Amino acid sequence: MNTFHPQAEETFARMPDFAEVLRRHGVLQEPPPIPAMNASAASAAATIGGVPVTQATTILAFKFCGGVLVAGDRRATAGNLVVYDRADKVLEIDQYSLMAIAGVPATAWEMARMLEHTFQFYRRSQLQELSHEGKVRALSKLLRDNLGFAMQGVGVVVPLFASYDIQAATPRLYFYDVMGARFEVADFAASGSGSPSVRAVLQYANAYGPRPLPKMNEEEALLLALRALDTAAQNDTATGGVDRHAQVYPIIKIVNEGGITTVPEAVLAKAYQRDLQSLPKNAVLLTTETE
Amino acid sequence: MTEEPYRWVEAIQNRREYIHEQLAAGSPIVALICADGVLMVTVSYGQKKLFEIYDRIALGAIGHPGDIERLRMSAIEVASAEGFNRSACDVSLRRMAAYSLSPALKTAFEQIYGSPFLARLLFVELGHHDEPDLLLQLDYDGAFKVNSSAIGDRPEPFAVISGRESSAHAMERFLHDRASADLGQSEALELAVEAWTVGKIALSDEDGADLPDAEAIAACRKDELSRGALEAVILERKASGNSTFRHL
Repeated sequence: MNTFHPQAEETFARMPDFAEVLRRHGVLQEPPPIPAMNASAASAAATIGGVPVTQATTILAFKFCGGVLVAGDRRATAGNLVVYDRADKVLEIDQYSLMAIAGVPATAWEMARMLEHTFQFYRRSQLQELSHEGKVRALSKLLRDNLGFAMQGVGVVVPLFASYDIQAATPRLYFYDVMGARFEVADFAASGSGSPSVRAVLQYANAYGPRPLPKMNEEEALLLALRALDTAAQNDTATGGVDRHAQVYPIIKIVNEGGITTVPEAVLAKAYQRDLQSLPKNAVLLTTETE
Repeated sequence: MTEEPYRWVEAIQNRREYIHEQLAAGSPIVALICADGVLMVTVSYGQKKLFEIYDRIALGAIGHPGDIERLRMSAIEVASAEGFNRSACDVSLRRMAAYSLSPALKTAFEQIYGSPFLARLLFVELGHHDEPDLLLQLDYDGAFKVNSSAIGDRPEPFAVISGRESSAHAMERFLHDRASADLGQSEALELAVEAWTVGKIALSDEDGADLPDAEAIAACRKDELSRGALEAVILERKASGNSTFRHL
């Protein structure tokens, strides 16, 4: 296959790939082979390898005038069971990149960790930042490598990726499919089991609201994100709502030219409270009357 | 010839002399512990000499660029693999130097049919929480010293490397009375540049019994900075993210 003298190969070292470094150090295993599937299994909707795709979560992201807002609920579920109510699904990958995760947490968190370390390794070894395109591609590759697990039904991850593109001086937002295809979106994206509701809310706000999403200020954007997640929680048992008793609010982060900021819980609490008080009282009355 | 012990010793001695000759032109590198973090300073003439290795570890190196590159990559690989496999807190400069780099350097140096590493390294590590900062000099033969200078037994808040031993000694003498871990960043930077200049003067000054006076330092400094570029990095104690490395 390779006619190079072994020493010549060592002399002209290839550009180091972090995954390859980990394999050499015995830290990472080869990705599993992709199992063969028959046509009927492949065509069955919403299943992978015969296992229904469970993406019990809701994450969303949209562009507003202050960058990209990325939000996620806090609930982690296994079937009907609520496993955890303080999960962090919006993860900081580097100074300018956010990854929001939907799917199997074990795989998703490992993927985020891998991504973070890959960017750092590149910066340190090559003495320059990985380009925006390179970062976006790196996540594609991780998803592609994970396909074997995904098709066995044990590692489906469908992430969102938001990053500030320094060269183009613009924030960018992407969603991915299970196989690693990436789609750049102009306004908003959502993923997880609650995403149909969220998509509808965002679509409505974008098209028929007082102003389109990219023109919203931070206060309006925050309110919309909270309402969208609240709607998802109403419709989807696997999405956690706001637990005011325990002070558990969604995680909301914003990325722009200044880097990443996490919206403090106190700000979310205030926004949520203000919104509740401004709602017409009969909205509450109507629901009690039907009982 | 390795079958004869005497000739092996002689070969090693020749090798030492050859390496010393190769390293002799190396521009000095000064590391200082200060209140704001750990500072590293040198003047470079076209080629970068100070590098980030991991969240809390930086490297300064003199020698052949190809060898520096191989050692730098090894250090980054070892640290990154450990940081990914366990955690960033488990990455330790002392272990990395003692278990990975030092044995490899020693082996390469003593295998007299292979090529040795023509490099002298100065690693610095910012201590976690209240742990002390680490300054580690690692030589081409794998020998290393931690937080030490040639002058006294007590740990010093500085460490230097240079192409010649006399130059390193001059810098150590200069810093011995002046360096303090309480200095602020700008004072420490100023002191480090002066120490670098002392080392630079000593490189070309063969006897070098006395340290140069302030005038000579200022003149040399002006002259060198017009030809080379001041390179300074700091591992910041109060860094906001995980990575503490920053160019000044």
